[in-house]
Amino acid sequence: MTPSIEYYCPCLAASPHPPPPHLPSSTYSFHPLHNLFFCEECDAVRCNRCVMVEVSGYYCPNCLFEVPSASVRAEKNRCARNCFHCPNCRNTLTVVPSDPPDDGDARMSPIVSSTLGEPPFFLYCNHCRWDSAEVGITFEKPTGLAAQLQKFEDSAPESLEFERLKEHFEPFLRASSSSSSALHSAAAHHVHTNPITAAASSALARDIPGVGKYNPLSRSRAGRDKHAHKNDIPDYKSRVEVASAGINAGGGEADVDFMCRLETMSEVAALEQRWVSSWVASLHSSDLKPLRIPLQSKKSKRCPSCRHILIKPEQKAQSVRYKIKLVAANYLPAISVSLPHAQAAVEMMKRSTALNKSAAATTVDEHGASAGALLAGKTYSFHLAFTNPLYDPIQVRLKKAQMMQAPGADGDKTRRPPFQVNLPSSPFPVAAFAEAWEYEDDEEVMFGLEEDEGDLDGMGRQQRDGRSKTRTLGVVEKRANVTVVGGEVILTKEARGRVKFNMLVSYTYRSDDPDGAEENVTGTPSRSHASSKAPELKNFSFYTVVDLGLIVPREESRIDPDI
Amino acid sequence: MDTAPATPRRQTGYDAAPTTTPQTTRVTTSHVIQSSPHYQTTRRHSLYGTEDRVIIDPGSRLWKVGFSGEGKPRDVFYAGGESGTSVWTLNRAPGLLEREEEDRLLEARLQTSLRFVFHNSLMTDPKSRKVILVEHPLLPLHIKETIARILFDNLQVPSISFASSHLLSLLAAGRITGLVLDCGHLESTALPIFSSRPLFPQLRTTPLAGMRLSSHLRALLLLFGTYIPPLTSLSAAANIPAATRSMRVPEEVLTDAVIEEIKTRCCFVGEPLDVSDAHIMSPSGDDSTELDLPPSDPAMSESEFSRVSADMESNFSSQHAASSGFSVVSHSQVPNPDRRPGETHLQALSRMYTRHSTATDLHMRVDPPASQQTGTGRGTLVIPGWIRERAAEVLFEGGDVDESSMAEVILDSLLKVPVDLRKALASTILVVGGTPMLPGFIPRLHAELVRAISTSPASASSRPPSRRERPRPAPYDRYAPLCPLLPYFTILNNPSPPPPISSVSSNAGKAPAFTPATMSWVGGSLAGALKTGGVEVAREKWDEADVQSDDDAMETAPETMRSPKNILPDWTRSPLPAGAPPAPRPTPVQIPISTETEVGA
Repeated sequence: MTPSIEYYCPCLAASPHPPPPHLPSSTYSFHPLHNLFFCEECDAVRCNRCVMVEVSGYYCPNCLFEVPSASVRAEKNRCARNCFHCPNCRNTLTVVPSDPPDDGDARMSPIVSSTLGEPPFFLYCNHCRWDSAEVGITFEKPTGLAAQLQKFEDSAPESLEFERLKEHFEPFLRASSSSSSALHSAAAHHVHTNPITAAASSALARDIPGVGKYNPLSRSRAGRDKHAHKNDIPDYKSRVEVASAGINAGGGEADVDFMCRLETMSEVAALEQRWVSSWVASLHSSDLKPLRIPLQSKKSKRCPSCRHILIKPEQKAQSVRYKIKLVAANYLPAISVSLPHAQAAVEMMKRSTALNKSAAATTVDEHGASAGALLAGKTYSFHLAFTNPLYDPIQVRLKKAQMMQAPGADGDKTRRPPFQVNLPSSPFPVAAFAEAWEYEDDEEVMFGLEEDEGDLDGMGRQQRDGRSKTRTLGVVEKRANVTVVGGEVILTKEARGRVKFNMLVSYTYRSDDPDGAEENVTGTPSRSHASSKAPELKNFSFYTVVDLGLIVPREESRIDPDI
Repeated sequence: MDTAPATPRRQTGYDAAPTTTPQTTRVTTSHVIQSSPHYQTTRRHSLYGTEDRVIIDPGSRLWKVGFSGEGKPRDVFYAGGESGTSVWTLNRAPGLLEREEEDRLLEARLQTSLRFVFHNSLMTDPKSRKVILVEHPLLPLHIKETIARILFDNLQVPSISFASSHLLSLLAAGRITGLVLDCGHLESTALPIFSSRPLFPQLRTTPLAGMRLSSHLRALLLLFGTYIPPLTSLSAAANIPAATRSMRVPEEVLTDAVIEEIKTRCCFVGEPLDVSDAHIMSPSGDDSTELDLPPSDPAMSESEFSRVSADMESNFSSQHAASSGFSVVSHSQVPNPDRRPGETHLQALSRMYTRHSTATDLHMRVDPPASQQTGTGRGTLVIPGWIRERAAEVLFEGGDVDESSMAEVILDSLLKVPVDLRKALASTILVVGGTPMLPGFIPRLHAELVRAISTSPASASSRPPSRRERPRPAPYDRYAPLCPLLPYFTILNNPSPPPPISSVSSNAGKAPAFTPATMSWVGGSLAGALKTGGVEVAREKWDEADVQSDDDAMETAPETMRSPKNILPDWTRSPLPAGAPPAPRPTPVQIPISTETEVGA
């Protein structure tokens, strides 16, 4: 419900202009600023949908072990040490020893057993009390558990059956590929000349003895046909047939019987717990096996067009730093949206609840709900706070993207747009970013320069509100590297849906600041920064979508608080 | 046109047949590259230093992904996010603008899923991995193209192979000949395959599948389920019995996730009800005269019911609002004056099923609807046992021309197959897909197959002798030509096969015990391990086509840049493929496929 703003990345669309925000597909093109990257080479915003991702290292999220990429493949992207998930609740399992043998008379010193514990060891879930002894998994040693389980995995029925299938088809494929050169040259020719039709014909893209000789139209060649069948592939004998495996599982009679007598749903394993297994498995949730924890990867990302690295994490799993980090938040001004009337309502609610907690609670609730909402047929002002991350002051110019006609043009005849947005049209300055300590030093100077000094504390809010009504458009507040500008939105009476509009933000940053924005540059400590840069003017613009919230239709607005 | 595809066939048939020389000379140079994918792939692999291919089995809801050569997928996930919404459906928007919007949504969702596959599930570099795409034969072209575009442009995979899901499933069962029924979420498709050649013109499909089962289940629960809301306060627990609090199931309780959970954890498929048994015990009242089993009841079929129920639901909710204290614990036996004609039938149906079902009622904890969030904790949904057992009846109830049952779709496909293939195919039926994971599904399907073929001859043989004086023409039976095949019908992956009828050596239950749902993925993995699988489209080829179409599109509007590219293989584009067995008739059989194949779109 709080108003939000998201930034546009043009990777999904062919045009540089953003899609109209009322389309559901447009949400995929807008991203929060902290998810975006910025390529210096291309001078463009990049998002997680378009960057090229490379894995720079694997690690286990539980034990933070960095897994060499060579063993990742063999270990199937899962931790091969002691890390396991509970099959029921996905909690991390702990290794616990068995209870010491209860001899009764000869109690050995308990200290010895507690340090190492008694074998067999098993896995235990601290959350749901599942333990691996229930499914018959115990360990002789408390270390290297996955390695101890590896032999079970290697001899899993599906991989054995898979190998057998491979052996079954391999000689047949070899034979057909060698014979195809001599026998089916003409067919091969056809495959070559017309790959599309060949594609249609088969997925195996090769000739099989038997099919070439087979022709259902000519009954006279029935004898030949039979002969062809004899040359055909021999019947495959399964290692484990589904009929024999299905005695206990696989949807056979036993399963039907079990389902029929089911008492609680939790006896049956959930789909998510079963769907990865390709071999018929028991439906019972009591038969689930512990899961090795999947590895995570550290990813470095590249620009899709120039291949420059945008982000590169440090190799160590414990580290959360980056070697290279070109994030958009360092290049584009951060914008935050707020509705002053909603904030005022929230504050009033707080104040009144503090005064008389019990009595006014319900009325305030009601008031707060309606006061924060956008009522159809009214005009609201909103504030956009621009925060400059650059060491140079910038000039920002806002423009509403010409997309508001789109809903009307989209089919609903020429319906009037449900709302109209007015933005400040003249460019406004945002001061340069400086380190925090510099602000602390120059605090007095900074705020001395600010015109809206008194507004920062809560006392002056009403006063400010009163003043902002007269000048809703334009700069409302300036402090440090933040400039707040006001805009207004006029809702029509029949307005519905969300107030969402595209806004083009273009900003110019000039290193030497000869004329514009004098008053805030004079005292800025980053002056030295600015002058050290090359004296050239750069311009960058990007699209955003501003979402002010849901419009409350007029009639319902009065009924709503009652419910 | 006729002769061109026929010549190679003749040549292969008679080895010594006079061949036209230009063809053979061209062949010797070309076939090394083309007809031996084995050579090709190994060379490529060494180039990239990777031997594993990525196998993607994209469904409308569930995706299975993994590496070739492994026995099970690495990851399975809902492509539409946690809520499990379909990425695509059988429908397309009618208007041009809506369709564009739909395409954009589809592309965004597919991109999310495909990037997730490489970056999160498999954590591998897409630029060095070839991809085998397990492709449903009726996967709409625009979806296939979108997938290919994302894989090539956004992820830059070196190549994509397209392999038919039905064929791959058959490979996983160790066969190359058979009739494969894939019962997924959107539709069920039967496709005969002979010697690894899919006989696409003989493909049959029906929209009775997982999605229909879900909507039917929801409709049944709305009518016959019971909801017990949470207690309004903890102190009231003692005085109010559960029975008085129970009410009809509010619609909001039955979210997609709840339905999915009920379907996957509670439902199973019971044995078919015996005809005579049902007749004796048939419920008293208006429909005692009906000899028919409810599954094939003409009055109001179950599938019809679930279709209608969408608009009935609003009725019910308003009705429920009017009488909120109304209890439906006793299976809503209370006669309702404004009841629809179909409803009495449904009541009878439920009574009969209740009588025959031994399945236990289940209690499920569900989140109360948002409008009733007053209580403490979660509400309880009571699922009658017969719903658990009989919800899947909707899949086996035939009679509709457009929506044939599971058995009918197999038999229809068999009817289209050349006569001398029928026996081989009927004896190697393979059932794959997510919906057959329901316990009891495959044995039931076998029973239905047998019943569909054998009922009509039985009635024909028993009745005429008794009333000889009135010689009636034998009722038309579509499946009469299949009757002689009756003893041969076997489902390869039947977990509890019936005892063989005759001395015929049966294949039933001889398939390896892979689950039906993962069969096509396993087949894809197998094809990848065998260095084969599908027609391969390399990225260079795609880029070439891309440049060409870009050039074409320069003058025209930018939207046409995304026009279909003809380099993706697709069987629907060439009605008479040269490599496939010739069609039985000279004219290509036009298949009445459902709305899914967007050939012209």
